[in-house]
Amino acid sequence: MAEAVALHDPAARQRGTALLLGLAVLWPLLVVADFRPGEIFEIRNLKTVGAFLAGFLPPETGAEFLAYLVRATLETLAIATAGMALAFLLALPLVSLSTRALAAAEIGPGPGYARAQFLHYGLRALLTVLRGIPELVWALLFVRVFGLGPAAGVLALALGYGGMLTKVYSEILESGDTRPARAILEAGGGRLQALFYGLLPGAARELTSYTVYRWECAVRASVVMGFVGAGGLGQLMDQAMKMLNGGEASTILLTFLLLVLAADALSHFLRQQVGAAGTVGRKAGFGVSACAIAGLVLLAVVSSFGALDIHFGALLMRESMGLIGDFAVSFFPPDLSLPWLSRVAYGTLETLAISATGTLLAVLGGFVLAFPASGRYGRLAGQFSRFLLNALRSIPELVWATLTVLSVGLGPFAGVLALALHTTGVLGRLFAETLQNAPPAARDALVDAGARPVVAFLYGTLPEVMPQLLAYTLYRWEMNIRMAAILGFVGAGGLGQLLYFELSLFRYAEACTVIAAMLLLSIVVDAASSEVRRRLR
Amino acid sequence: MSFRLDQVSLTHANGFVALRGISLAASPGERIAVIGPSGAGKTTLLRLLGAALRPSAGKLSMLGVDPWALSERELRKLRARIGVVHQAPPLPQRQRVVTAVLAGRLGQWPLWKSLASLVYPLDIAGAREVLARLEVGDRLFDRCDRLSGGQLQRVSLARTLYQRPDLILADEPVSALDPTLARQAVRTLLADAGARGATLVASLHAIDLALSEFPRIVGIRDGCIAFDLPAAEVSEPLLRELYAAECPGSAALPTLANTPHFDARPVDVPGASPGACC
Repeated sequence: MAEAVALHDPAARQRGTALLLGLAVLWPLLVVADFRPGEIFEIRNLKTVGAFLAGFLPPETGAEFLAYLVRATLETLAIATAGMALAFLLALPLVSLSTRALAAAEIGPGPGYARAQFLHYGLRALLTVLRGIPELVWALLFVRVFGLGPAAGVLALALGYGGMLTKVYSEILESGDTRPARAILEAGGGRLQALFYGLLPGAARELTSYTVYRWECAVRASVVMGFVGAGGLGQLMDQAMKMLNGGEASTILLTFLLLVLAADALSHFLRQQVGAAGTVGRKAGFGVSACAIAGLVLLAVVSSFGALDIHFGALLMRESMGLIGDFAVSFFPPDLSLPWLSRVAYGTLETLAISATGTLLAVLGGFVLAFPASGRYGRLAGQFSRFLLNALRSIPELVWATLTVLSVGLGPFAGVLALALHTTGVLGRLFAETLQNAPPAARDALVDAGARPVVAFLYGTLPEVMPQLLAYTLYRWEMNIRMAAILGFVGAGGLGQLLYFELSLFRYAEACTVIAAMLLLSIVVDAASSEVRRRLR
Repeated sequence: MSFRLDQVSLTHANGFVALRGISLAASPGERIAVIGPSGAGKTTLLRLLGAALRPSAGKLSMLGVDPWALSERELRKLRARIGVVHQAPPLPQRQRVVTAVLAGRLGQWPLWKSLASLVYPLDIAGAREVLARLEVGDRLFDRCDRLSGGQLQRVSLARTLYQRPDLILADEPVSALDPTLARQAVRTLLADAGARGATLVASLHAIDLALSEFPRIVGIRDGCIAFDLPAAEVSEPLLRELYAAECPGSAALPTLANTPHFDARPVDVPGASPGACC
């Protein structure tokens, strides 16, 4: 029986091929991403960055500037909250229309099946467009229509996050138990009745939790949108960076850090509350604290709109609608000439290369920091590395890009570094959690048999956590592809740089091609990642 | 002396006294079966012998040295000479059988060899040979999560055979095997120990298996040694008394035939072994 098994590893050839193939793909990507690590340490660049960073101290604390800063911070929060509120309003009808479990025509299939299918797929396509175009691009476009200021940011969040919320809400609703909804439909109930009585009771907790999480993301996004002129902290940061005012920049960065950490903590707290709701209380349903939280949320939304002072009435006037129409029409037809297409194709490749290289660096960095962060080398090292990871993570990629552009110059390598820095923070934290939760039995058994800790980790822990680490990496890479597409707005290469350039020259037909490429990239990434996820399962 | 325990006690962190005043010694090449009801302290005793738990009181000498007086490096060298067969095989689900078996010698291999073997298994013939002895040679390149509980337990045994330790500690090594395979696997383990002059200590649930295959039987109850006798001198009344708490008034003692088999896949429940006869 044993003789049937060969004495060489049957998987060796496959592994070797995979390795060679990986290198063959990676090498050109590194070249396209303009990967020159030596650049960081070149004296000239070090001097520029050093001089700028030296300006960071002391942070600007002038009363006038601080007043600006407080206003900008509040504006950022208001943009995020108002944008989320609009996105939520947009998502509600879209969810009830696009969720299959709520369609009576699916039963049977019954009358109106074709129309329901059409509606379902039509809405899905619309959502793909809304989601597939990054919110920063929406913001950039809206700034051209509505001028500089928070209105563009709020609307960009509303559209982008509206699409995102609809997709995820539908997924959550359909991943749960759909039989109650079906029973209501079969008993002659309508969409909304089936939603409220059949699906929401089971999914409310997860939906609320996700909404809170998205709000946290919206805060980060609204910081970033300021860089294209949509108000808030980002706009202030952009000005400070352009004037190379280190003192102001450091104060703003510290505010970023505090704001993101605070939003993080608040979101964590709220989600914990949501998770605990109904499990500790005696009665399910709305208690005093739930009503209080709902009231506070409503108050926050109302005061956000009040503070931003956006005249939606004026935006919807016939005159401005006409302007919007003209602006939209000027994008069509897109420029599909061969030379332009090939430039856009190269931009897409560059975007992919930036994301892949940045993610790879972040995997290395995150892995190295995850060990101390998971508490393996004592408390002090743990606390320090966790603080470092938090700091890296709480500064958005685009803000990192403004710094790395200073360090290594305009181009894709700056994008690589920016992605790597932010993603190291994210992945490091996730990796550390994974290591902490890894089942210890296999590793401990090896240590008890005299293996070195490093070797015991490689043979005992790594095989257990590998799928999780891989899943996190792929998930982050997917996000980084989208991010790499817009890092170019501050000069860090890729499609974003093309788009920013064309828009500032008012060449809308060319810009339209770039946006289409971004959309296509997003759709392809979406499909590829769900395929990979399916296979890993 | 292969090992010597002198009035050794062990109190777990939660205050539970697992072993009290145990004195036990074995010369090289001895083969000892440890029997006793669930929760009597069999696993704790084996973990103590494996230098995985530190005694709270008493003196302990393993292969001539006190493991807890050694430097980190010396302790590692000592552990490499002690092979432990765990009740729930501690094998990563996604690891291949060949790698899981070769991992038995990680304590003896230099660092470079351990790393290189991850890329390409460096002793395929050796792994195949020990697996063949337990009749799972055909699963050499399968992943551990593709194996049944019984196969997994035999892979875990194969790893210990591959380690070639001077002291083998086996904790319920055949609990997931059917009676025929169980007896066969125990004989393989005994033959390996005999051929190399290694000491073997195995905790077993099936009394008949222990009495028929092992020359020396140690009965444990409530953290104390109830008896330590040659197999021929272990009488039925002695056994009834040993298991009295577990099966009050019941007729059947735990044997191979009536021991319920449980899945030996790695689970985090140390007390997962079901009561043998209640």
